[in-house]
Amino acid sequence: MAAGESATAGSGAPPRAVRRRVRLARGPLTIGEPAPAIEPRLAAGEPYRPDTIADGGTAFGLTVRAASVRGLHKRFVGGPRQDDLCLGLHSETQTLIAAVADGVSGAARSDLGAALAVRYATAAVTRQLDAHGDAAAVDWANAFDQAAWALISEGERTGVDAVSLATTLVVAVVSVGDSGAVSVHAAAVGDSPSFRLHGRHYDPVVDSRASEDGLIGGGVQALPRDARSVDVGTCALEPGDALLLCTDGVALPLAGGESELGRAFARELAIPPDVVDFARLLDFSRSTYDDDRTLVAVWAPRRP
Amino acid sequence: MKMRFPSNSPGNLDPPTAPLSLGDSGSEPTIPAPVAAPAGPELEASAAAASEPTTGSPAAGPAPTVIGQVLPMYFVGDESHSMAGDPIAAVNQGLIDLRDEVAKHPLIGKKVRFGIITFADTAETRLQLSELSEDLVLPTLAPRGRGTSYACALEALRQTIPADVALLKSSGYQVHRPSVFFLSDGQPTEKADKWRTRLEELKDPGFRERPNVLAFGVGDADPEVIRELATAPRYGFMMTTGASTAGAIAEFASSMLNSMVASAERLDRGEQTIEFEKPEGFVQLDAPLL
Repeated sequence: MAAGESATAGSGAPPRAVRRRVRLARGPLTIGEPAPAIEPRLAAGEPYRPDTIADGGTAFGLTVRAASVRGLHKRFVGGPRQDDLCLGLHSETQTLIAAVADGVSGAARSDLGAALAVRYATAAVTRQLDAHGDAAAVDWANAFDQAAWALISEGERTGVDAVSLATTLVVAVVSVGDSGAVSVHAAAVGDSPSFRLHGRHYDPVVDSRASEDGLIGGGVQALPRDARSVDVGTCALEPGDALLLCTDGVALPLAGGESELGRAFARELAIPPDVVDFARLLDFSRSTYDDDRTLVAVWAPRRP
Repeated sequence: MKMRFPSNSPGNLDPPTAPLSLGDSGSEPTIPAPVAAPAGPELEASAAAASEPTTGSPAAGPAPTVIGQVLPMYFVGDESHSMAGDPIAAVNQGLIDLRDEVAKHPLIGKKVRFGIITFADTAETRLQLSELSEDLVLPTLAPRGRGTSYACALEALRQTIPADVALLKSSGYQVHRPSVFFLSDGQPTEKADKWRTRLEELKDPGFRERPNVLAFGVGDADPEVIRELATAPRYGFMMTTGASTAGAIAEFASSMLNSMVASAERLDRGEQTIEFEKPEGFVQLDAPLL
C-alpha cells in the first residue's frame, strides 16, 4: 500500500521556516474548574499502549496534526488508552486517509479493538484507492466490514468474544485536486464525530444523531456489531479550514463548538500548532471530563 | 399526602452563572496569564489568526455555557416502622460511608449528584440532589408514619427528577440518565393499582428523564413486586432467605457505592445501562423465581 510513501511526495513547495507560539511554556489549557492534578499510573498490558501519541506533518499541501491522550480516569486507575488513530497517504490520488476510533469502555479489550479498527480501515481504503483511484468513490461498507472483520478474527484467534473489542470508528479521506481544491469524504459508525472548522464555526461533516431525550447517551453503535450502520458525509475545505475528527472525550465538552472549549479550540487551531503543542492542547484540564481524547486536524492550505 | 419537593431551591447545585475562568492558568505555572492576550510576536506569519476575537468574556448568548457532566443518583429508602432498629441504623451508616468514600475520590465526587427520598405512608425528599462532599450534612433516617406507600415514593421521583434535571441543565451541566436505588423491607400497603399506575408513569418511554431503577428487597419485601419495580429484571435484587436484614442492607449500601463509582467512571460513553454487581446476600431476579 501507499501509506508508507514519503510524506513529501507531491507536496510541492519546499518546507519553509515557521515560528509558532509554544503552549508548553504556558502549561495546560484550563477551562473553567480544573480537573484534579494526579500522577498518572503507567498502563500495564499487552500490547504496549502509550499514554499519549502525537503525530503531524504536511502532505499534498495539507497540514496534519494528530494526537490521542489517555483520559484522567484511566491515568488514575492505570488503564490503557482505549482511543486510537491512524494516518495514511495515497500519493497517486493526493489523498490523506485518517481514522479515529473510540473503544467502548465497557468492552474489556476495546483498546485493542480501536487499534485494529483504525489500521485495518486505513489499509482497506488505501487498497481501494490503489484499485480505482477515486477518493470520491470509497466503498465505505467494504472498509468498515474489513475493520469489523479484523475484530472478529482477532476474537477468534484469541478465543474471546469479539464484542469485547467493540469500538466506534470514523474515517475520512481528504483529497487535494489538481486545482488545489480540497474535498473530504467521511464515514462513521458510532458517536465519534467529524467537523469542518471554518473560522469559529464547527460544521458537522457526518451528521451525528441527536441525543435521546435531551440526556447524554442512548447507547452507542460500535464495530463489529454495527458495521452496516455507516453514516457518511462530505464537505469541501476552503483555504484555512480544518477538518476535525475526534472521539467523544473531546466532542462532549466541545458541545458542537458552542462552548468555552469550542471557542478556545477555534482560537488555538486557527493556525496549526506544532505537534507537541497540539497534544498539549488536547490534554486540556476541565473538571468532570476525564475520558480519553483523540483529535485529528487537517488544514487546507492557505492562499499564497 | 405530605411531600416536599425541591422545586425552587437549588440545594447545593452550582449557580447557573458561575464565573468561568478561561485561561491558561495551568497547575505548574501559577501565573494566571490571560489567554486573551495575543501570544506575542512569535505568531506564524499573519493574518486570519489575528482577526480572531480573543476576549475572555463570552458573549451574552442565550445558550448556557457547558460547565461539566453529571450523573444524578437517588436513594429511595423505606422508613416504615418495620425498618426500626438495626436495619435503619444500617441504612444511615451506609449513607455516611457512601458520602465519605465518594467525597475522597478525586474524580467521582464532581460527577455524581446524590439525592435521598424516603417513604412510609408519605414520601419526603430528605436530601436534595447534592454533590457528595465531606461536609455534606446527611439526614438521619428514622421510622415514621403508618404504612408503606410505594405510590408516594414513585410519584415523588416522577416530580423531582425532571425538576432536578432542568436545574442542572440550566446551570450548564450535561446530564446523564438518572439512576434510582430503591430499597424496601415490606410490601406496599396500598392497592396494587395505585402504585402500578405511578410506576408506569415513571417508566413511560414518553417521560424523557425516566430513570434506571434498581430495586432491592429485604425482610418481608415481595420478590415479584421488587422485580416489577426494577427497569430491567437484572436490576431487581432480593435478600436471600434467612439472611440478616441489617447485614443485607450493609451489603446493599456497599454495592450502591461501587455502582456509583463504576457508573461515574464510565460516564464517557453515556451508556443507558448502569454499572452494578449483585451484593452479597442477594439473589438477582432476572431468572424465574422458584
